[in-house]
Amino acid sequence: MDEKMSVMVVDDEKIVRESLFFWFEKAGYTVDTAASGFEALKKIEAYPFDLMFVDIKMPGMDGIQLLEKIKTEYPDTVVIIITAYGSIESAINAMKAGASDYLLKPFKPKYLSLVMEKIMQQRKLTSECNYLKGRLEKISRFDNIIGQSSPMMEIFELIPKIAASDASVLLTGETGTGKELVAKAIHAKSTRSQYPFIAINCGSIPDTLLESELFGHRKGSFTGATHTRKGFLEVVAGGTLFLDEIGEISSKMQIDLLRVLEEKTMTRIGSREPIHINFRLISATRKNLEEAIATGSFREDFYYRVNVIHLHIPPLRDRKKDIPLLVQHFLNKYSQETAKHVDHVSQNTLTRLKRYPWPGNVRELENAIERAVVLSDSRTLKTGDFSFLSTGVPGKKTPSLRELEQNYILEVLEGCEWNITHAAKILGINRVTLHKKIDRTGLRTLKK
Amino acid sequence: MRKDRQRIGIIPIGDIPDIAPKVIAAHISGYLDLQAILLEPMQTPSYALDRQRRQYDAGSILQHLESGFFDSVDKVVGIMDVDLFVPVFTHVFGEARQGGRVALISIFRLKENAMDTSSDSAIALERAAKVALHELCHLYDLTHCESHQCLMYFSGSLPDLDRIPLGFCRYCSQYILEATKFNPKFP
Repeated sequence: MDEKMSVMVVDDEKIVRESLFFWFEKAGYTVDTAASGFEALKKIEAYPFDLMFVDIKMPGMDGIQLLEKIKTEYPDTVVIIITAYGSIESAINAMKAGASDYLLKPFKPKYLSLVMEKIMQQRKLTSECNYLKGRLEKISRFDNIIGQSSPMMEIFELIPKIAASDASVLLTGETGTGKELVAKAIHAKSTRSQYPFIAINCGSIPDTLLESELFGHRKGSFTGATHTRKGFLEVVAGGTLFLDEIGEISSKMQIDLLRVLEEKTMTRIGSREPIHINFRLISATRKNLEEAIATGSFREDFYYRVNVIHLHIPPLRDRKKDIPLLVQHFLNKYSQETAKHVDHVSQNTLTRLKRYPWPGNVRELENAIERAVVLSDSRTLKTGDFSFLSTGVPGKKTPSLRELEQNYILEVLEGCEWNITHAAKILGINRVTLHKKIDRTGLRTLKK
Repeated sequence: MRKDRQRIGIIPIGDIPDIAPKVIAAHISGYLDLQAILLEPMQTPSYALDRQRRQYDAGSILQHLESGFFDSVDKVVGIMDVDLFVPVFTHVFGEARQGGRVALISIFRLKENAMDTSSDSAIALERAAKVALHELCHLYDLTHCESHQCLMYFSGSLPDLDRIPLGFCRYCSQYILEATKFNPKFP
């Protein structure tokens, strides 16, 4: 059985308050009364009533004024207006001001019962809807962005604030830091969340194709355009367009997009008909766009247009505190996906994973955990399950002892401007030995 | 039948068919296992007549009855044959205060589409019994029930009243059993 609602009857006539009070009491509702709008506001401040029956004509604060205050301060409270025959116009005004229904006095008991049933149904649907929205938000919002480090906590705090505005956002950060996840989170928290989120990787699409993808084309506008097609700028209608690797787009495309952002209109390729468009732009790049502006490969006016709000996503090496949490998250994810009971990482391995520099950031960590879970025969992942931990940094060969010696001698020699006596003293060897080492390793060729 | 049953006084108020209080008493006795006692009739309360609405104010009649001295019974059910109202409603079939001592019912509207034949009259009396049992249970603090198969379901119209059966759901039955347990006031 559903929990009964709490009801307040607000009427300056005692007899009306009492009649409704007794009816609601018999129906099993928690019920209270107030003789004026002021008394009602005082009571609702102390106890949030689900439903209020408000008489439209009251001295002091009338029903409409009370309704407006309730709708502003307690939007979840349902208000039903009670009115007498002859004041239907005020009842209509009350409906416009947010009342859910109105009752003309005197009304049939059956009608009150039907109104209550309707409100209960609406309340149930609203509650179900809120639950599902909450679930959806949880799924699409922060579930995939893991972190408890202070840089991530700052980002979590900023996301709702950024989502509340409609300004263009530029996300910067190394590859694999989760820029698209942050973009999705901003979209999910924004008023555009009911509309599409479209992500395009500008770096992976040739410029001509990108133009067609974004702007669409008219049938016959170029070879292969066999039918008219909407571009993503149209398809996104009301939603969020996420342009990843925006630093890769051509100057021509930058100009085209700049015009779109300024005029909020576009034309399909091969068409002259302007189309009004409405979307929010979130861009991302791993490039330093200010350097790109300096070298002339990125337009300054476009930069300022896309970079109204700037959010930098830190690399994983700067938030090592998050590594154990991320490891556990991916471990849970992939052990579930692969139906393998792998739920631990040894302490020694975790320490080494924290020390590793993660050039590919969270994406690299995720791939590493996935691979380890797939290949592991044990419940606990060990250092041996992560090949890169034993071979060093990928792409960087671990130097041999001879190479280390050679590099160190060179460093000392250069520091002493090739003064052999001085260098031999620092190295703790005699001059003859140093000469022999220089000859053997071919360092003399490096002398400037 | 319990020997330690509570006593319910039935009071005919104004001009009502003789059979109505008897039928209601029989139902109270049969369905709730309480002692139903017919009390002395009362006159139609003219003070409760709203001349504009041409209806009787159920609230003021209840208030008057509650101040009465019914020392021989635990609860009282008044039966009338006038159109009853409470101020915000167009009419009521009956009225009682939750957990109170007095309930009031009217057979006035219960006779609609009935009383032309003896079988129709039986329908009207069954409706009266249903309303009386419903209002009496409010006196024992039962609230409206969501089950359409229970007498405590709120029936705002005659079709609703005709649809619900003469009986209680198991939750309300249990509640009534607990609520109507013997009161030592009348050994």
